[in-house]
Amino acid sequence: MDVVSSQTVSVEVNGTTYEREVEARRLLIHFLRDDLDLTGSHVGCDTGNCGACSVILDGTLVKSCMLLAVQADGSSIETVEGLSQEDELNPLQQAFKDQHALQCGYCTPGMLMSATALLRDNPSPSDDEIAKAIQGNICRCTGYWNIFKAVKAASGQEVGE
Amino acid sequence: MSETTTVAEPLVVEQAETKPGYAGQSVPRKEDKRLVQGEGVFFDDVKRHNMGYVHFVRSPYAHAKLRSVDVSKALEHPGVLGTLTGDEVALLTDPFFQISSPPGAHLKDFCLAVGKARFVGEPVAAVVATTRETARDASELVEVDYEPLPVLTDAREALADGAPLLHDEAGTNLTWEGVYEWGDLDQAFAEADRVLKISELHFDRFNSTPLECNGALVEFNKGTGQWTIITNNQFPGFAAIMMGPAMRVGLDKLRFVTQDIGGGFGNKITSHPQLVACCLLARKLKRPVQWTEWRTDFHLSMSHGNERWFQDTEVAVKHDGTLLGFRTTALDDAGAWLRYEPLGGVIWAQVTPGMYRWRHIRLDFKQVVTNKAPVSPNRGYSRMQHLWFTERVIDIVAHELGLDPVEVRKRNYIKADEMPYETPNGCIYDSGDYAKMLDTALDLIGYDDLESKRTDAESRGKLLGLGIGSTLDSGTNNFGQSRLINPELQFSGNNEVATVKLDIFGEIVVTLGTTPQGQSHETTASQVVADILGCSVDDVNVRAGHDSYWNSHAGFSGTYASQFAVTGLGAVKGATEMLAGEMKKLASVVLGCSPDDIELAEGQARMKANPEAALPFMALGAIINANNAGLPEDLDVTLNCRYVYRPPFDPPDVERKYGNLTLTYAAQVHAAVVEVDPETGVYEIVDYAAVDDCGKRINPQVVEGQVMGATAQAIGAATHETFTYDEDGNLLTPNFYDYHVPHALDMPPLKTGYVESPSPFTSLGTKGMGEGGGAGIHALCAALQDALRSRGNPIVYDSSNPYHRVWELLSDPEESRKRVAVETP
Amino acid sequence: MLLSEVGYARPATLEQALGVLAEYPGARALAGGQTLVNVMKARAAAPDVLVDLAGIPELKGIELAGDGTLELGAMTTYSELIASAEARARPILGEVCAQIADVQVRNRGTIGGNVCSSDPTNHLPPLLVALGATFTVAGPQGERTVPAGEFFLGVYMTAAGPGELLTKITVPPGRNDGFASVPIGVDGTCIVNAAASMNGGVRVALGCVGATPVLVEAESADAVRDAVRESAIDPPSDVHASADYRRHLAEVVAARAVEQAGKAS
Repeated sequence: MDVVSSQTVSVEVNGTTYEREVEARRLLIHFLRDDLDLTGSHVGCDTGNCGACSVILDGTLVKSCMLLAVQADGSSIETVEGLSQEDELNPLQQAFKDQHALQCGYCTPGMLMSATALLRDNPSPSDDEIAKAIQGNICRCTGYWNIFKAVKAASGQEVGE
Repeated sequence: MSETTTVAEPLVVEQAETKPGYAGQSVPRKEDKRLVQGEGVFFDDVKRHNMGYVHFVRSPYAHAKLRSVDVSKALEHPGVLGTLTGDEVALLTDPFFQISSPPGAHLKDFCLAVGKARFVGEPVAAVVATTRETARDASELVEVDYEPLPVLTDAREALADGAPLLHDEAGTNLTWEGVYEWGDLDQAFAEADRVLKISELHFDRFNSTPLECNGALVEFNKGTGQWTIITNNQFPGFAAIMMGPAMRVGLDKLRFVTQDIGGGFGNKITSHPQLVACCLLARKLKRPVQWTEWRTDFHLSMSHGNERWFQDTEVAVKHDGTLLGFRTTALDDAGAWLRYEPLGGVIWAQVTPGMYRWRHIRLDFKQVVTNKAPVSPNRGYSRMQHLWFTERVIDIVAHELGLDPVEVRKRNYIKADEMPYETPNGCIYDSGDYAKMLDTALDLIGYDDLESKRTDAESRGKLLGLGIGSTLDSGTNNFGQSRLINPELQFSGNNEVATVKLDIFGEIVVTLGTTPQGQSHETTASQVVADILGCSVDDVNVRAGHDSYWNSHAGFSGTYASQFAVTGLGAVKGATEMLAGEMKKLASVVLGCSPDDIELAEGQARMKANPEAALPFMALGAIINANNAGLPEDLDVTLNCRYVYRPPFDPPDVERKYGNLTLTYAAQVHAAVVEVDPETGVYEIVDYAAVDDCGKRINPQVVEGQVMGATAQAIGAATHETFTYDEDGNLLTPNFYDYHVPHALDMPPLKTGYVESPSPFTSLGTKGMGEGGGAGIHALCAALQDALRSRGNPIVYDSSNPYHRVWELLSDPEESRKRVAVETP
Repeated sequence: MLLSEVGYARPATLEQALGVLAEYPGARALAGGQTLVNVMKARAAAPDVLVDLAGIPELKGIELAGDGTLELGAMTTYSELIASAEARARPILGEVCAQIADVQVRNRGTIGGNVCSSDPTNHLPPLLVALGATFTVAGPQGERTVPAGEFFLGVYMTAAGPGELLTKITVPPGRNDGFASVPIGVDGTCIVNAAASMNGGVRVALGCVGATPVLVEAESADAVRDAVRESAIDPPSDVHASADYRRHLAEVVAARAVEQAGKAS
């Protein structure tokens, strides 16, 4: 049984496969940002509470600061960079824009991944269900209210003006 | 969370006269396209070849002599590129300029601790390495010999005999004090029917914890002697003034570059010590140096909000609740260093009477240093603390005199027809109808049904309470107020810059002097420009962020203190009007008429009388940039217009401490309904209404976003957010695990309402907004006080009311009531 | 925020995992990582080797026996438990897991990790004590079972000692269960919590009041508050609650958990 302090990992991110040598101790968020130059996912805390680093790993929403890069070897990851196609915003991104669901934009990538995961599982969520789905994503700018509206709008539900 | 977290449709109560155009429209944001794709550029996204990563070694002691700092073992660690210690810093730099008069003026503040550490988390050395992890590892090899000293954590003990002295150079912990007195206190108290005495109120320490912490990537160009500081500092004008002299270099050697910033709220103004350390390291190690502040570092060391005690308050009141005046001592806890302080010692005076008409006021302001993180501006800076105080006073007056808090406010509010209103210390409140805002808030919250809601709550075993928080967001500072702190200072007025140009192919390019952190400057600037030039907002390109190389900034440039809609947009308007004038002048030369015959519309300069005679913008741009032969010699047209907005201020009267300190006064009236579980002290916010008046709103959706954000932060501050220390000076809430900020499930339902009372003093009728004055804190304190009335009428005396405090109020209401006495003179 | 150097192993079987733990005394098992990675970020602990249990099939799976006994693999995530049809045989399990933190944490965090970290504010230790669960521990000497009441030894200390692994949690049948807590914010860290089970007698396990869950047994629902008061708990004081306040809250949540248990069926 091999115990390694670094190894080559192969990860697919937004459809592209990357192979890199990485230390076992490197967190997945730093691997994405520093090794793969995918700086869309962000770091907002150091205790796994803020969710700015949220990505979808093998179909499951996770905080990438709470995983080692080596744990993601062989996995398929989706980040914010994979949401739009050729610079065209997807309906969720457009809804965030329409509803002013972002101000500084720092929590937004993580928020979008959490909302993406929710809508795959629950295409027509209530406000409570939306709040539960983004409970692991801290925002300090918006107070979350417009984010509820944006996710609702993206799901095709009425939100008013 | 309540059954629904919907946010209701915004209610527009009153709107200023609307003209056709973009101003007043909720134009979609230019910023969003890149941000929702993760293509924003935040400082940590930027990389440079060969860059080294910084880790700061931080003191684990709140107060300790630094007998020695030995980096030799760290330097031997593989991958380490270099270090920096306090001894080096003391040789290479001069102490930071101190705003304060003596004794605060004597503080010797360097970018690393020199000789002594004065708070847990204070940087004492820096290690740079090839990877982040290596720098962290190597920092553990730095050997610091600390000699612990007694610790001071309670401001009330700072002046006691034998209190630990933080700064020998000052000789005291009382680094600044000032007495403010206006009107005739003796008269007021002689006329009073009752005198309300409150022994002590406490505004707690917290901050806005922007999701992105501070940081920078610093490069040094040895040939030119210039540093490029890619950072998220939100007030580069201030950073430059602090850093240049300390580093013994001219300010032009410090180039500040920002693009996207992940929230600021004032907490990104005082990163200059760490930036200096990075500059020294970049020069020393001959490579770019990168510093990322982690969450714990931020909580331990950066920008705590002012903690303030209001002691021995006396309020002169008539039987009917008319407030005549008050006197109080404000004891402000600045933490270990004065990094923007003691400006907080005067900034509260922008709103001396709050929203009320009392004329006789005395406030003794004493600021002390303690072994805690240095404070610096935090959303609502210093006004919030003071307005919380005035709101607590109103509420306690109402409770103790058995009057209705709504009626007492209305009786004492400054009236709409008294505007512009000169306060006792000469500040001019520009406009506003506070009573109407209060009525609107009460309507939104269902005030008429209050008693039936209370009964319903009771049937479920809960205590219901309604609270009002009315507050002001004073915006666009007159920096002359700094002379009330230190008469030797040479600051006054304010400014902001914008440059608007028409390029060779007709592109309109706007360069701002600001450093937005989510306030939608690119979008609102484009609205103003488009309205003046008669084009579409899509044709207006606004550069993202700030770069001092653009030379589109001045001494006070940055984004802070609720001012962009006045200063930033004032500069944009000025620059665009200059450009429009030049475009018309040029068009008139080409078309053979007078400039007054020209209008700008639909992307063209055309003759009003004959719209067919038109020049598209591209034609104008091309002439000036590439095809200018034959133009009249005296034609003064460059199509590249830089404008410095300067608000109309006079230096204040330092003797009387009198004068207008801010140009605009946005107002907020919030109402909150809480339900308290009397068995546990746990409470829930079940309804919330926020009514806002910031004058003419350029982009209503943007304004609403700011109102919501300020509300959420106030809710956090009132409930769980607190920077609490133990007696050894350890911060008990050093990260998001213990420092609980509101998450999605914590949000109450929200109703918002808007009134537009244009400011007569600004070019667009706008008022600065965004900070919000802490209305939510005031409202929740009042709501709790109302809810607990039936349980012994405890007094809410602290701005921070987590469950354990509510429990104390429930368990022993008499204890809190000891702070309050009503006397009949 | 940045971890110390560490070795990493990803065994494919339980036997391999135990082998690595035996070979490296400084090794720690890595389950969901939602606690351990945080601890390592703060450098409060720095294991030499992390033994990633994610690839071991023996540790996954939920089985419901005919008599209603549930066997939960230690590496079952909270989300898996919430979604499990079998686990609905004892609904309180999913209900409590749904209150833990947030979706991201629930997708990775495991019930084994929750009990083995034995953090006094965790949800599952008091719950499983109240339910009378048993824990199966595998080690070099083979396998043994430990009743919940004997599993929790202290903060971050359980009967699964060095070189051992928790493999499964067995929950007896029953439905009259309740759980009540006072968290910091919705679904936040608990200030106090209590789990109750009324499947024959009244059992209440208090969390957050000591290093390990405190089991209180009472004659009847009405006697619970007195029983808690007499249990002489010595709760800690911290920034969120004083010892006295925790002591008071413990009584309240105990009574509420019991009330919930009485209504459940």
